[in-house]
Amino acid sequence: MQRSRFLIGALAGLSVAATADDLFGAALAQPILPNLPGGSDERVLVVVNLQGGNDGLNTIVPHGMPQYYRYRPTLGIAPNDVLHIDGTIGMNPQLASLKGMFDKGQVAIVQGAGYPGPDHSHFRSTEIWQTAEPSKYVSTGWVGRFLDEAGLPPTNLFNGVALAPVLPAVMTAHRIDVPAIAQLQGYGLSSDRNASERAAFATLVRDDRVPFSSPYLATVATIEDHAQKGSEELPKLLAGYAPSGTYPATPLGRSLALAAQIVGSRLGTRVIYVQHGSFDTHAAQKPTQDRLLRELSDALKAFYDDLAAHGNDRRVLTMTFSEFGRRVAENGSRGTDHGEAAPMFLIGGGIKGGVYGSHPSLDQLDNGDVTYTVDFRSVYATIIEKWFGRPADGILAGSFPALTMLG
Amino acid sequence: MTVSAPSTFRPPGSLPTEPLAAYAGPWNARLAAHLLRRAGFGGSPAEIARAAGAPMNAAVDALVHVPATDSLPAAPALIDDAEGRPLTATPALPEAPAMMAGASPAPDDAATSAIVELRKQRNMLRREQDRANVTWWLDRMLATPAPLQEKLTLFLHGTFTSSDNQKGIYGLEIVDQNALFRRYALGNWRELTHGVARDVAMLKYLDNARNVKAHPNENFARELMELFTLGIGNYSENDVRESARAFTGYTFRRRTGEFFFNAAQHDDGAKTFLGRTGNLTGDDVIDIIYAQPAAPKYVARRLLEFFVYSDPEPQLVDELAALIRKNDFNMAPAISTLLRSNVFYSERSYRALVKSPVEFVIGSYKLFGVPQVNPDAIAVLRRMGQVPFHPPNVKGWDGGVQWLNTQTLLARENFASGLMVAAMQTDNFLRAASAANATELARSLAQTILQGDASPASLANLEAFLDGHGTSANGALSGENYEERLRGAAYLTMAMPAYQLC
Repeated sequence: MQRSRFLIGALAGLSVAATADDLFGAALAQPILPNLPGGSDERVLVVVNLQGGNDGLNTIVPHGMPQYYRYRPTLGIAPNDVLHIDGTIGMNPQLASLKGMFDKGQVAIVQGAGYPGPDHSHFRSTEIWQTAEPSKYVSTGWVGRFLDEAGLPPTNLFNGVALAPVLPAVMTAHRIDVPAIAQLQGYGLSSDRNASERAAFATLVRDDRVPFSSPYLATVATIEDHAQKGSEELPKLLAGYAPSGTYPATPLGRSLALAAQIVGSRLGTRVIYVQHGSFDTHAAQKPTQDRLLRELSDALKAFYDDLAAHGNDRRVLTMTFSEFGRRVAENGSRGTDHGEAAPMFLIGGGIKGGVYGSHPSLDQLDNGDVTYTVDFRSVYATIIEKWFGRPADGILAGSFPALTMLG
Repeated sequence: MTVSAPSTFRPPGSLPTEPLAAYAGPWNARLAAHLLRRAGFGGSPAEIARAAGAPMNAAVDALVHVPATDSLPAAPALIDDAEGRPLTATPALPEAPAMMAGASPAPDDAATSAIVELRKQRNMLRREQDRANVTWWLDRMLATPAPLQEKLTLFLHGTFTSSDNQKGIYGLEIVDQNALFRRYALGNWRELTHGVARDVAMLKYLDNARNVKAHPNENFARELMELFTLGIGNYSENDVRESARAFTGYTFRRRTGEFFFNAAQHDDGAKTFLGRTGNLTGDDVIDIIYAQPAAPKYVARRLLEFFVYSDPEPQLVDELAALIRKNDFNMAPAISTLLRSNVFYSERSYRALVKSPVEFVIGSYKLFGVPQVNPDAIAVLRRMGQVPFHPPNVKGWDGGVQWLNTQTLLARENFASGLMVAAMQTDNFLRAASAANATELARSLAQTILQGDASPASLANLEAFLDGHGTSANGALSGENYEERLRGAAYLTMAMPAYQLC
């Protein structure tokens, strides 16, 4: 509560210098941490983007399907190496840490996630997963629309945070401006000549009465304004958090360590985006995918250990996705080409762990690809409705049955 | 002010009646600076004055008629390894089994350790070569007498992407690819595409070197249509599979690093591609692609988004596409027409693009007369989101609103701040910016840095900053504090939204 008041105070103080003040008009009227309808105000979603198209068949391995080994003469993972879940499927041996969490009931595996009319382009398919719109082009992401519609105060600069050098489509909103933060170190203005320069900066970057018109002007001004204020506040807001345990020294490890700090510092953040990759393994797949899966698994374990040590593990749901799985048959370069459906992971202390959906058939392929068995929008609907307690139909432009691992 | 994602960044208003007809309105420093920003990397105050002093057509002629660039270094020096072997060739090192398994070598295994050490050195040298390559190109952008050629080279690099030090691309391979783009910058882009299909860096980057009859690899064939020439929706998945077969056998000789058509690995069976059936080769596929109505439209749209404004009207795309088709993909006439056109000089086009990080950095160097690119610029550009020769992925840089987020804008502001404390580099500019009082100095900075694109309120704010308002300790602008205030005010001017726009 003290922290929330501090943030409002800081923003209100800076608004004195502002010229266009619609940003600040409502600042004092709203609490910084509103209760979402459904009473889930403490809950956070972490979205992990496995960039480049992760090979689903070598992530959740169908060791009980003989066709798998026929399609994967060199890349197939031997049944004895697979971390068995049941007689049909198991995990890639690099996912040992995640398997440990699965065995404790903290991991839900959604098999065969995909969408109708799958696209094999990285870019279009990434856009489809991020916007949740397979049939048309839209400018906001599904998380962005959730943030817009969740009644969050636009005055909070950290409603959503993208731990990435570039703002991903999934976090793009209309009402809420999501900061992109590559890493905390160096996130801020280096020039600090004197207070008068800082004050002048705050006013000048919002120059919107310029003698020209540009479709980008308002966006530039808003982001510059938020960059200055947010980067000044963030280190102070995070300073009280002491991480527990050791994270892997990988980019994903660093991102998740910062994510835990943001969660633990209670900034009102509802969604955090992190990314990991590249999984685009057209050639010599095994060493690359092995390394990336191990990094993923170990970083997630460290993340939940840290969260648990601060009592936050039940507040945080983590969801992985990738733009597509890969072709069932390996290619001639010990790699795999772009495919279709693939598994997703949902992780957290607040879910019912287990295996959801059915594994796609390897007998009936769609031009060499597996066909999806779960529409990924059902997973999003589950999160919006059961995790955040908000109606999902508007955000997803349709009604998708929720799965049962939450609520 | 809270709109962070409008659904389109097309400027409001409508097209001029004849958008591509020659602009005949007033010509001044504001529009000359606009031309130099868009068709090059900005200009020094002297270059802007020179372009403004000549008629518009002469200013465009000077860009389109590419002058000799012999005075520039043609390529960076090639770095060899300690034994004098090139870094490009497949290393003659034995594979270390322990490394392949991802484990660290046993400490007593001297042979393995030696290999690990050699590989480490090689990787270090490869990174050094990569930095030399990037710095060489940035320096060339800064110094070239042919900025349009260089700007188009950047455009083509962002279209037909490959990435240095990735997928086995080492040495000067990316620089050779860059030379191909430069050679064809104002030439025929269908012929360029034939060259791209034979380019070693591209053969590696999109795996076509591994595309063989028994197991076609679709990576190059797909991106050729999706990202390089047609755009999604203008071909089927079957066309991808069939054209991948047509490109089988397009590879390179490992020993010489030269293109090689391996007939034994080429699938010479019948293929059906975009309605044509026959024993098609990759070159046939390229010619069929460029005969599609979608091909000139794709080029036209990308050019307009790069040079004019985002999300251009279909009518404008069609008009430029017709011109490109009429000239059979010889690009000089269409580009020349565009740079002289009504739409290019319209108010809707003015400051309607976001400066790319490269435009921001090189443009600032030119503005302040920095003679050479600081090697630290690579790290700065990385934080801003654009290192040449290192596109984020095969799609290249999205540009526009994608350049704008809190992280990248902080990086821009910190670069400007750093430039203004680097006394040596900007002395000449700052000496020239002398003025009698704070009012004049604020006006002069806004004029030089922003072509006057600042509001009266911002001018008053700059003036107040220069005159020490808010710092009672230091007092009004004086000989004592002149330089420090000037540097601070120049930084603040560069932080203003107009300076982020192109």
